[in-house]
This record gives sequence, structure tokens and C-alpha cells, in this order.
Amino acid sequence: MEAQLKKYAQLVISLSGVVAVWWMVSGFGLVNPTLFPAPPQVLAAAVELYRDGVLISDLKISLTRAAIGFAIGSTLGVLIGLLTARVFVFSLALEPFLTLLRPIPAIALVPIAIVWFGIGEGSKYFVISYTVFLAVWLNTHAGAAGVAETYIRASRSLGANRFREFFEVVVPAAAPHIVVGLRLGAALAFLSLVAAELSGASSGIGFRLQDARQFIQTDRMFVGLIELGILGALLDSVFVIISRRLVHWESA
Amino acid sequence: MQAALKIVEETETMPNTEVGRIDIENASVTFTGPGGERIEALAPTDLVIEPGSFISLIGPSGCGKSTLLNAVGGFVALSDGSIRLDGEPVTGINPDVGVVFQQYALFPWFTALGNVMFALKRFPMSKKERRERAIEALREVGLQGRENTYPGQLSGGMRQRVALARTFVTSPKVLLMDEPFGALDAQTRVVMHEILLRVWEAHKATVIFVTHDVDEALILSDKAHIMSAGPGRIIETLDIDDERPRRAHQVSESFLNNRNHVIGLLRQPGAEDH
Repeated sequence: MEAQLKKYAQLVISLSGVVAVWWMVSGFGLVNPTLFPAPPQVLAAAVELYRDGVLISDLKISLTRAAIGFAIGSTLGVLIGLLTARVFVFSLALEPFLTLLRPIPAIALVPIAIVWFGIGEGSKYFVISYTVFLAVWLNTHAGAAGVAETYIRASRSLGANRFREFFEVVVPAAAPHIVVGLRLGAALAFLSLVAAELSGASSGIGFRLQDARQFIQTDRMFVGLIELGILGALLDSVFVIISRRLVHWESA
Repeated sequence: MQAALKIVEETETMPNTEVGRIDIENASVTFTGPGGERIEALAPTDLVIEPGSFISLIGPSGCGKSTLLNAVGGFVALSDGSIRLDGEPVTGINPDVGVVFQQYALFPWFTALGNVMFALKRFPMSKKERRERAIEALREVGLQGRENTYPGQLSGGMRQRVALARTFVTSPKVLLMDEPFGALDAQTRVVMHEILLRVWEAHKATVIFVTHDVDEALILSDKAHIMSAGPGRIIETLDIDDERPRRAHQVSESFLNNRNHVIGLLRQPGAEDH
């Protein structure tokens, strides 16, 4: 409880410090306010976006894209990761290919995604799920391939068949790695979301950023950036809480 | 322990004391080392282990004691010779052969009860019956009230007690133990020895116990096979006739003689590994 309180206090102190410095720098006319807006300006822009209805609708549309992309990518990542780690045929067929895909960043896929899926939702889902998939696959694969031999021996000598061995031993033994992959995947979903929305979108937080650039509305850009920061941080803390429950034996 | 004995009656027609005979004939294990050299982990070995007996394999690291144990368990393939369990050749991992590993072999994602129930899942029985038998097995090793505790919250000794319950709950014919108490402190070890002997006397499995602790071997077993390295082999077999319970703090003269003899053997040149 006390540790929790300390954490919140730290958060409040750190954030108010940053805002104070920001306010001073912009308020004393040290920088051009068009390029670097003061906090009240940004707040006013946020209120204006809210009144126009775009703040909420952008948030909804971006979160939906991230959620759907994450759902597709993480499901495939977990399934294929378990298969490439435990089934020789899959490892033979897919592992080298996936290793080659790993260094290709999401943003490099945006042009081809637009050609394949158009500028609609399909291309966003594709780019996001691709990024999430690779992170989740890599971690799941590492976790499932590295299951301690003792667990496998114990399971077999206790008479478990391969089916039970897979679901009652391999999957839980790999779970801590899978959860790390999912957490990383969730963060990457946001990164690739913005990459996908920056070009070829007509809504969403990424689009709003790009749109504001055309009119040099830096205050609106700040609103978008702050939104992304808050969303990402919230999502990550939710993941930490869920993963602590899911793989509770890890911390023991 | 009625519940566990019932399983044996269901799966075996022979009385329990008659099963668990191990015939090891000319068994050897060699493998290729990292430099391509041939390493003889276990030189050709002959050994008969009587049903229901408790034997120890003792020796320095590299003497092949774990290799021999793993070969009986079907974890390691023989290069030559044969191992038979009640006449049937050992070809792989067999659920009739229970194993208690050194440590870290409990599934940390299951509770103590879940770990024991895992072993019972291969038998056709209701979940309720499985649960009752698992609770009884935990009670037998003195862990009543700890059913819903996860291994991570248990001490090292308690974890090995769960492992013991998990293995004995199905009444295996043979129990393999690879330095199961090596990581425990001396006091806990004494308690574990008492629990192990009590459970073993109730279930009468054939036990192969690997250790490098001379006292442990002399306190627990009917026979101690002293092994030596380079190549791994049995150099002497010692019959231990002292009445149980034997206690390391109240040793008999024969215990002392045996101990001096074994330590002398292990100290001989060629029997040392460092």
C-alpha cells in the first residue's frame, strides 16, 4: 500500500514538474508559441477537438484498429510460436522465413499494405497484426522451445500423453514468455497503428496528427501525442496486472 | 494405504511384493564427446535388483550412477546389453517407473494437490476420487492442509515431499531417485529419510537411490553399490543388514565399519574424480 502511494506521488511530482517547466519555457516567450504551444493552448485545442466530436471518435477508431490488429496478430503469434517450437515440420518450414521477416519494420510495409488492401481498414489491420505477430511469435517460440527437460521427463514418467503434455506442461511452462510477448505486442500495436494512420487514413489519432501538420496546428499535434502517451502507459499497466495474475507462480 | 493399493490390484494380477524386479545385463552407455572422442559413461554392467528392495548407487560425479538410473528410467538409451523390468525390456519412459528428480520437477503452475492429481489422470476414475486419493497421498507425507499451496510457496523439503506423494500415489513398481535430498539441509534431510522409508514400507516399490553421501546410502538402503569413474562402473556391492530405523547419531559398530570401508574405497586412486 505504501509502495503504491509512493508510486502515485512520484507520478504526480514528475508530471507536474514537466508541465511547470513546459509552461515556463513557453509562457515567458522563450520560444515561438506557434511552434511550441503553452499548456493552456493545448488544453483549449483538446476541448475544441472534444466539442467537435473528433477526439472521442478518433480514440474509438484507433483503439478498435489496435485491438483488432492485436487480436489477429497475437492469436497467430501464440499458435504458430507453439507449433514452430514443438513440431519439427513447422520449425523446418517457417523458422528461417520468420527470422528473415523480423528486421522488416512495420512502416516499411505500409505502402505494400495500401496496394494490397486499399486505404480502408484492411491495410491497418494488416500492418498492426504483422508487427504484433512477430513479437508474440518470437517470445512464444523462445518460451516453448526452452521448456526445461525435467518437466517433460516428469510429465512422461507420470504417464501423460502428448496431448496432455502439450496443454498441461508446455503451454504453462511457456506462459511467462508468452505474456512478455503479448505485452510487447500491445506496445508495438500502438507504434504500428500510428505508422499505418500517418499515411492513407481519414480518421484516427495518427491521421489527426498528420492533418494538424498541414495547418501547422502544433497544439492539436500535442493533444495527439499526449493521447498516445497516456493510452500506451494505461495499456501497459493493465497488461502488468493481468500478467501477474496469469503467471502468478513466476513471482513466487 | 488402501487407495493406492487398489490401483495396483486393478492393473496387476501379481502381488505387489513380487513386482519390480530389474535385470541389468551387460548394459553399457557410450556417447561421443564434444571433441569427437568416445566417452564410456557406463562400462558393461550386470546387476539384479530384487523386487521391493532399496538399493543405493554411490560414487563421485562421472561414475555413471545417474547414467545407470536414467537408463532404467528409459531416459537414456543403452549402447549395448539390456535392462528388463519384470522380464519386459525397458525401451522408453514407463509410467510404472516413478521418478523423483533432484529438484525443480514439480509443476509450479499447479498447486500441491494439482501436481499429485496430474499423476492420477491416466487412470479412469472420477474427479472426486482422484481428488480424494491425492489428498490422502499428501496426508501420507505430512502435508495435510497444504493442498492448495503452490510449489513456489513451499520449502525445499516440502516440495520434495509433494514430489514423493506425486510419485507414490500411483504405486509404481520401481522408484528412481536422483540425489533427491542433495539440496536440503541436514535436519530436513533426516526428516525426509524417515518419510521416505515410511512411505516405501507402505508401498514396497523397488527403489534405486543415487547419492554421493555415504551416510545417506547406509541409513536408507538394503544394498549399496559403490561406483567409480573412468569408465563408470560398479566396483563393490555392500550388503547392509542393520535393523531399521538406523540413525546417523546413534550408529552401530557395523554402520561405522561399513562407512569406513566405503569411504576408503571412494578414496582409492582411480576412484577419485578430483
